[in-house]
Amino acid sequence: MASSLSKKKKAFMGMPAPLGYVPGLGRGATGFTTRSDIGPARESGDIPDERHAPPPKKKEETEQEQEDDDDLNDANYDEEFGYGGSLFKNDPYEKDDEEADAIYEAIDKRQDEKRKDRRERLFKEEVEKYRQERPKIQQQFSDLKRKLTDVSYDEWMSIPEVGDARNKKQRNPRADKLTPIPDSILAKTALSNQETTVLDSVGGLSSTMAGMATPDIDMKKIGQARNTLMDMKLTQVSDSVSGQTVVDPKGYLTDLQSMLPNYGGDINDIKKARLLLKSVRETNPNHPPAWIASARLEEVVGKMQAARNLIMKGTEQCPKSEDVWLEAARLLPVDISRGIVAQAVKQLPNSVKLWIKAADLESELKAKKKVFRKALENIPNSVKLWKAAIELEDEEDARIMLSRAVECCTQSVELWLALARLETYENARKVLNKARENIPTDRQIWIMAAKLEEANGNLNMVDKIIDRAIKSLEANRVDINRDQWLTDAIECDKNGNVKTCQAIIRNVIGLEVDAEDEMETWTEDAENCTQQNAFECARAIYAHALSVRPSHTDMWLAAAFFEKNHGNRESLETLLQKAVAHCPKCEVLWLMAAKSRWLAGDVQGARGILAQAFGANPNSEEIWLAAVKLESENKEYDRARKLLAKACQSAPTGRVFMKSAKLEWQLNEVNKALEIVNKGLEGFANYEKLWMMKGQLYEVQLMFDQAREAYQEGVRKCSNSIPLWVLYANLEIRQGQVIRARSILEKARSRNPQNPELWLHSIRLEANSDNKPIAFNLMARAMQECPKSGILWAEAIFLEPKPQRKTKSIDALKECEGDVNVLLAVSKLFWSERKIQKAREWFNRTVKLNSDLGDAWAYYYKFEKMHGTEEQQNDVKQKCAQAEPRHGEEWTKISKDIQNWKLKTEEILLKCANIIQIPI
Amino acid sequence: MSYMLPHLFNGWQVDQAILSEEDKVVVIRFGHDWDPACMKMDEVLYKVAEKVKNFAAIYLVDISEVPDFNKMYELYDPCTVMFFYRNKHIMIDLGTGNNNKINWPLDDTQEFIDIVETVYRGARKGRGLVISPKDYSTKYRY
Repeated sequence: MASSLSKKKKAFMGMPAPLGYVPGLGRGATGFTTRSDIGPARESGDIPDERHAPPPKKKEETEQEQEDDDDLNDANYDEEFGYGGSLFKNDPYEKDDEEADAIYEAIDKRQDEKRKDRRERLFKEEVEKYRQERPKIQQQFSDLKRKLTDVSYDEWMSIPEVGDARNKKQRNPRADKLTPIPDSILAKTALSNQETTVLDSVGGLSSTMAGMATPDIDMKKIGQARNTLMDMKLTQVSDSVSGQTVVDPKGYLTDLQSMLPNYGGDINDIKKARLLLKSVRETNPNHPPAWIASARLEEVVGKMQAARNLIMKGTEQCPKSEDVWLEAARLLPVDISRGIVAQAVKQLPNSVKLWIKAADLESELKAKKKVFRKALENIPNSVKLWKAAIELEDEEDARIMLSRAVECCTQSVELWLALARLETYENARKVLNKARENIPTDRQIWIMAAKLEEANGNLNMVDKIIDRAIKSLEANRVDINRDQWLTDAIECDKNGNVKTCQAIIRNVIGLEVDAEDEMETWTEDAENCTQQNAFECARAIYAHALSVRPSHTDMWLAAAFFEKNHGNRESLETLLQKAVAHCPKCEVLWLMAAKSRWLAGDVQGARGILAQAFGANPNSEEIWLAAVKLESENKEYDRARKLLAKACQSAPTGRVFMKSAKLEWQLNEVNKALEIVNKGLEGFANYEKLWMMKGQLYEVQLMFDQAREAYQEGVRKCSNSIPLWVLYANLEIRQGQVIRARSILEKARSRNPQNPELWLHSIRLEANSDNKPIAFNLMARAMQECPKSGILWAEAIFLEPKPQRKTKSIDALKECEGDVNVLLAVSKLFWSERKIQKAREWFNRTVKLNSDLGDAWAYYYKFEKMHGTEEQQNDVKQKCAQAEPRHGEEWTKISKDIQNWKLKTEEILLKCANIIQIPI
Repeated sequence: MSYMLPHLFNGWQVDQAILSEEDKVVVIRFGHDWDPACMKMDEVLYKVAEKVKNFAAIYLVDISEVPDFNKMYELYDPCTVMFFYRNKHIMIDLGTGNNNKINWPLDDTQEFIDIVETVYRGARKGRGLVISPKDYSTKYRY
């Protein structure tokens, strides 16, 4: 940049100022005054403030071709030195130049001095001469002024005022009269404004000036609004003349508020609409909708009177339009509208709507009845009128009217049915028969008849009637719609007409169904009925289905479950008896029957049923075990033992052996149990539970080596049994052989990859033996293998140090949202942070999500025991007992313990809550 | 950066500088080279000088050395920047209430370039007052 400057260096750079040069003024600049508080910007001698002089005109170019442009500028002109630039201004200012300047200066000075006196004298003379020629005004009056010193104050004060010579009008100007601009002018300007904006929008310019145009308020519209309000007020008062409404001075204002035109639109819109409707009315005065729309518009705007006038005109123009008359009746006050309706029915005697409106308008019952009578005279075949008329009558008159009505409207099922309902049994039958003759295609009459028979005890008639109904309907070519009939049946059921319902189902259920999928359809129908609480229907459907296919096991089961849920014990047992008679091979039915008996306390009966079951299914493990359970629960251990021994012979399975060993163990006969287990293992070496039991039995007897052997053998035989592996590892841990346990778990993991439980136990093992880093490491690997495992996540949360737990829990919730273990871990986390309310919420959520997890219940109970009230504790206990949880790590520790084999859920809950640790 | 910019050492030079430019805005900074505020301003001026050289000439004036304009242009601030075009003082509405000059050190080069350009465009059209592209009123600062 420096180079650019040097390249074109200005001539004035580094030059001294010419002598006597006044900066700023030299180029004609003026200052400014904005901060007079700090100092003056201009001196008195400065050039008057023209602010900025117009830029000086340039001289003709030709004159200064060789010279720089600015040299001969006007602004550059100085009186003494001529134009600012000298001929040699571009040359350097040398020493001889300076000398010459000094000499010139000296000469100037000398010359100045030489003639100074003369010049000054001449100037003075000139001024004096000028003064004499034109003396100042002040000087002219100086002699007179001198005399003023003689004037005293009083004299001065008493000098009279000069009078006003102007005429009166000028002297007393009238005060300005201010007249408000008439609304018309304002409106006109507003209108013209509008036009311009419209034009703008046409021209493509956005009419954004709406906001700016607000200052001129639309006076016309305001005036209109005021008129509307006034109008409304008046109509209100006029209403009150009829004695109905009274203007309440207190509520008046609020009334007004609510009465304020409640349309959201613009007044202009309304105006437009009004105009439009007007043109419609004028062009086509016989078009009723135009009149109605006009009246409605006025009504919406709040101009009741206008609306009424319009609609009255409408009735004159279109006297044959029902709608116009109805609208008129609606808009006018009640007493007038009565007259209107009277006129209307004269014009249109066949309009049902008008007659009904007329009856509505009558306030007295008698008058109403009268109107209806008249109406029926005119229109005898209107069902609607008949119904409305009959509704007003009492029972006796209604019957008479109905009998007349059915004559007039023979096709109305409703009327027939209503009549039948009102008649006595005998007459009703006749009525229904007649109805059937008149309307042979309606099923309702038939159903009604069936109901009638049922109500009067003719139960065998019901079936016949329904049967005949279907036949005659088919004969009359009526499509028998199964769904409709079924809904009818459900209706009958709900009304308590069980027989009719059953009859309908018997007759209808088989229709329209293919033989192949009839079972499915019926099951569906039955379930449907059950959902709608029509249990009799469902029962009937099941009964029908089973009578058609008595060997269909699933149907029996469905029926049994239905009875179990919705029926009583007797019905269930009779059903089950029938069921086992038809399907003796179905174990579940037998078991259900036995259980039903047992629950009712009839142990003997249950035994009998089981005995029959043995007869039918001699090799069924399920039935054997059920029998054993029955005996052992009833403390008949010898019988149970015998049964089991028999079972071992006749239905030998691993489970049977396991159960019998367990029984022995429960009865503290450990050696016997071991014997049985060994025997069982001979036959069923692949049954993991036997191995587990064997190991545990040895452990109980403190024979750890044998136990180890048993487990080893077990995992060799059943290497996929996770509990077996875990038991083996736990045995080693208890023996203090952590290294061995570790290797066992590792082996297990390699045999069963992607198993979160094994990982979990490995992690716990490390964590408990204070190998936190290894535990973390394992956890990371476990997460990679089973990223969606809830138990791993739950463990991971509590593995973290306290501050990180929260983030971990959020991750866990993200990964497996619906996992109970994670939810439980989160609730425990809240508990450990002593966020009681939150913890309670989460516990609740946990047990709701999966009520089968015993751990959750135990923790919840313990939590409530520490932080909750007695009520809450009991609540948890009750809910837990209802849910009967079976799973969960801590829970099974208690529930599977052989010592606790007789404990109830509640007791287990208490025990479990005792052993679990409070989360920290 | 004051040493990189041309200085004017007396009133005559100032006037000549203002007069000498036919088609450029003359930007004059009044102040002291040692003043911190001026140092800031000079930094900006130096940075923009090359960029605006086609339509603006920048000069620095020491107001102690050249006190001639102090009264006239009310040079009571530590740093003042004024604009001239063809011997006409161009006013600029900065929103500060003082339209005559920039009397604080600007610290954004682009803003300064924008201002100079605005001045140049306005002045070419014969305007005596231009409106700054950015409002510098204090209401935006608080």
